[in-house]
Amino acid sequence: MKRQLPLSLVFIFGVFMIIQYFVPHESSEWIFEFLLDWIYIIGIFALALGIWSLIRVSWDKIKYRKDNWQYSLVTLLGLFAMIVFGFDYLRNFQTAEGLQNFMFVHFFDYIMIPIQATMFSLLAFFIASAAYRAFRARSILASLLLIAALIVMLRFNPYFGPISPYLEKTASWLLNVPNLAAKRAIVIGVGLGIVATALKVILGIERAYLGKD
Amino acid sequence: MMHKLLIVMCLLFIAGAGYVSAEEIPDSLKPALPSDITIYPDSGGNVAVIYWFPSADDGAGKNIVTGYALYRSPSPKGSFEVIDTVPPGPNRYIDFLPIDTTVVDSGAPFSPAPVTEVTLADKDNDHGHAVIVKWKTSADDIAGSPSNRVLAYNVFRAESQSGPYLMRGQSASGDTQYDDVGSKEREARDYMPDYTDYYYIIRTKTIEYHPGHKDYFYIVRSITDNPDNYRETSPLQFDGTIYTDSQVYGPVQCFGQWFNSGLIPVLIFVICFTAITVFMIFRARRGAELFVRRLAGIEAVDEAIGRATEMGKPILYVLGLGTAAEIATIASFTILGRVAKKVAEYQTGLIVPCYDPIVMTVAQETVKASYMDAGRPDSYDENMVYFVTQSQFAYVAAVNGVMLRELPATNIYMGKFFAESLILAETGALAGSIQIAGTDEIAQIPFFVVACDYTLIGEELYAASAYLGREPVLLGSLKAQDYAKAAVMIIAIVGFITINLNWDWFVNLFRVAN
Amino acid sequence: MAVTKKISLLILAIVIVLFAVSWIAKTGTFEDTGMPLGLSVRDGFLVTFAAFLTLSIFSFLYKDNPYYKFAEHLFVGVSAAYWMCVGFWSTFVGNFIPKVSEGLSNFFEVPYKGFDVFYFIPLILGIMLLLRMSSKIGWISRWSLAFIVGTTAGLNLIRYMRSDFISQVSNTFVPLVVDWQGFGAFFSDLSLNASGQLIMTMSNWVIFIGVFCGIIYFFFSKEHSGFFGGASKVGIWVLMVTFGASFGYTVMGRVSLLVGRLTFLFHDWLGLIN
Repeated sequence: MKRQLPLSLVFIFGVFMIIQYFVPHESSEWIFEFLLDWIYIIGIFALALGIWSLIRVSWDKIKYRKDNWQYSLVTLLGLFAMIVFGFDYLRNFQTAEGLQNFMFVHFFDYIMIPIQATMFSLLAFFIASAAYRAFRARSILASLLLIAALIVMLRFNPYFGPISPYLEKTASWLLNVPNLAAKRAIVIGVGLGIVATALKVILGIERAYLGKD
Repeated sequence: MMHKLLIVMCLLFIAGAGYVSAEEIPDSLKPALPSDITIYPDSGGNVAVIYWFPSADDGAGKNIVTGYALYRSPSPKGSFEVIDTVPPGPNRYIDFLPIDTTVVDSGAPFSPAPVTEVTLADKDNDHGHAVIVKWKTSADDIAGSPSNRVLAYNVFRAESQSGPYLMRGQSASGDTQYDDVGSKEREARDYMPDYTDYYYIIRTKTIEYHPGHKDYFYIVRSITDNPDNYRETSPLQFDGTIYTDSQVYGPVQCFGQWFNSGLIPVLIFVICFTAITVFMIFRARRGAELFVRRLAGIEAVDEAIGRATEMGKPILYVLGLGTAAEIATIASFTILGRVAKKVAEYQTGLIVPCYDPIVMTVAQETVKASYMDAGRPDSYDENMVYFVTQSQFAYVAAVNGVMLRELPATNIYMGKFFAESLILAETGALAGSIQIAGTDEIAQIPFFVVACDYTLIGEELYAASAYLGREPVLLGSLKAQDYAKAAVMIIAIVGFITINLNWDWFVNLFRVAN
Repeated sequence: MAVTKKISLLILAIVIVLFAVSWIAKTGTFEDTGMPLGLSVRDGFLVTFAAFLTLSIFSFLYKDNPYYKFAEHLFVGVSAAYWMCVGFWSTFVGNFIPKVSEGLSNFFEVPYKGFDVFYFIPLILGIMLLLRMSSKIGWISRWSLAFIVGTTAGLNLIRYMRSDFISQVSNTFVPLVVDWQGFGAFFSDLSLNASGQLIMTMSNWVIFIGVFCGIIYFFFSKEHSGFFGGASKVGIWVLMVTFGASFGYTVMGRVSLLVGRLTFLFHDWLGLIN
């Protein structure tokens, strides 16, 4: 009951999904669409579980006065404020207005968006420090990586005089030819890895995700 | 005096403002346009048939459409005159054109030969709702020639022999096939039910006009109770050129198939691969020695756990942004299980922040099971595996915080990663942690390669779970993957030879139809 | 210790003063555009707060600090709630409620689409998942997990078999000699043009050998020695060149992200550049 039933469910649904791929008939499509819809709906319940975990971890931090517990208060404050606005509890709970709530939209525009965009822009600094790291590495592989990176990075640079057009050509060749070959080799391997892992899951060989007892 | 002037000015201002605001009805309040408007000639070009599907605000949506007004003009920029207003609902309107009868028809008018040998068949390997129409081109269609007088073929369909026939689409001159694909959705505008008789007419269109005939332009307007609140199409061309209809063909029915024969190559691969995997697993179970070479990234995992224990610092395990349904995440669960078991044995700390709530649930199960396996169920703490948020960069911000505050000895990244890969890996490197990464997301591998000590590239991520466990069944499937790769290389060489000899049949074995 | 505390208090004071100055200044700028005072005060605060958060995140580049911690924790809380609300309204209210309950559909003002008994199954599976919170019957949640994992494993197996495996293998079949018309034609048209015969032929060779050696690199059951060792070495070289190229390719894109953020600071907030 605790393990055999879930494993047989995995098998049944897995095999069904494989078979339905070969059946173009409408009834197979119909079940397929149902199953995908179900996954989305279950996901919402899971989200409640996630929020619960976030609240519990933050609360524990505050309760036991762990390091930086004050900041967990900020998390909880942001969370509850956004939930109240999102469900628009104070004004009109009954309509799907939550997402249009004034404060909800403004929290999104002036808190989420700026932080998100800034986090993303940190990549510019990190890519520079990563390039420096690659520069220091003294192995053939690291040098190959670095040279290819430099050629592509400098491809539109006019400062190299007569070699500039060659640089550009080499860069576009690198991006088109070896790139294609390597990606294909990786993709074939990944494809096989995914198929084999999925097969192991369906056959109940790979079952770490189900836990024990 | 001043007061009166002021009052008059105010009144004028209010009236003006009211006028301006009446002029400018916001776009969101205007009715939607009807869709799928088709206009084509009938009765030898003497009438124009205008067909449309109701506006989204007709009986639904804002439900404000009270009808449709039709306008016509001989030129797209000319003055459009209203020809009629029709009630809401789906419509097929017939407009009698003002043919100029004063123009004398000199000589016999040109009339292209109709298409012949029309065949109608249900589209194969599909879910139904589609018919394939094939024909032999008109004798006047000299494809490729500059003097070709045939412009295109229009395909018309009806549910009874006598019509009404609705235009389904157009093929260029020289074409001999049209795939009439309808929708399976009952409420869709081009719903095409299965097991229904359909009749077809194929029209050969030319580039010439009968004397007195010409093109017209139509505007269709969705109207409401308020005469100022409407929306109209841009001018739509009616093509008044000469045409010849074929005879009526049919009936034909469409229906879905129970097996897609175009996917046979995929089926063969699935069966072969499953067979090899199962066979290898059986061999492994019977005790056959299966060799796998060592993989630096995987051996580093064990070392890293040892190092963390010595330093008395925790291990950070990041499962990436994939959902629990992603196979990379499932492979990562297995690796997490092995890591957690070692961690439990060594009594090291483990931190697993999660991006997806279902992933969190599964990861909790996995880690708990590992602690039980290691015989230390009491050391398991539910808060080791926790949910952060489902927002990519908020998650990154939080994990970065963990790296700098908890200073983990080792960071392990396994699963699906996107733009955040470099932020995570660089922060970890700057914090001085040993880092091991594995992902099948090709675009992110370079960043991990640069910033991490060990990187599992692509398939190595999937192999890692088998390696870490050294369980015969898992190794068996790894062997099956190798056999499949060997097969790929042989197929590639054979394919390579055959394509250079122009033997297309072999290559076609690997072309999968839709 | 006392010194660091003093310094951080000083920094806090400076931050508060700067915040206040920026707030007042921004309110003034908004008012100049003809906005009422109340709205100007509000928008002045919001823009200043967004700039404060932006700088807080950037301060992380120096080192971890209270301002980063504040922004990070606020971001986590707000974004978690944001996605929950979006999920609730779009999937739960938008997709689920209209198919199970007329009463709830009316309550949430969504059009009722008729009762569909099949939508009770995800409801049950979802509730089973929530049972995880109980330690006694938490194992029931595995049934829902099994459903999700099984369905998607089947789906992925077939999808990747086709897209990543069969299609890729068939794409590897390329002609070794492109458009061969004899040696004379070959040498007379010899050029280093990307669409020239020499380069095209060479590229096809590189692709074929690259794929071949790349696959050998991923072989697990053979030691990398002898022919295998050589081939896998070529394979990893090709991989590394590729990684370098795609690394270099990404750099410009990342720099433009930073430019976007600096534009916000210097244009939208400080108004220094137009």
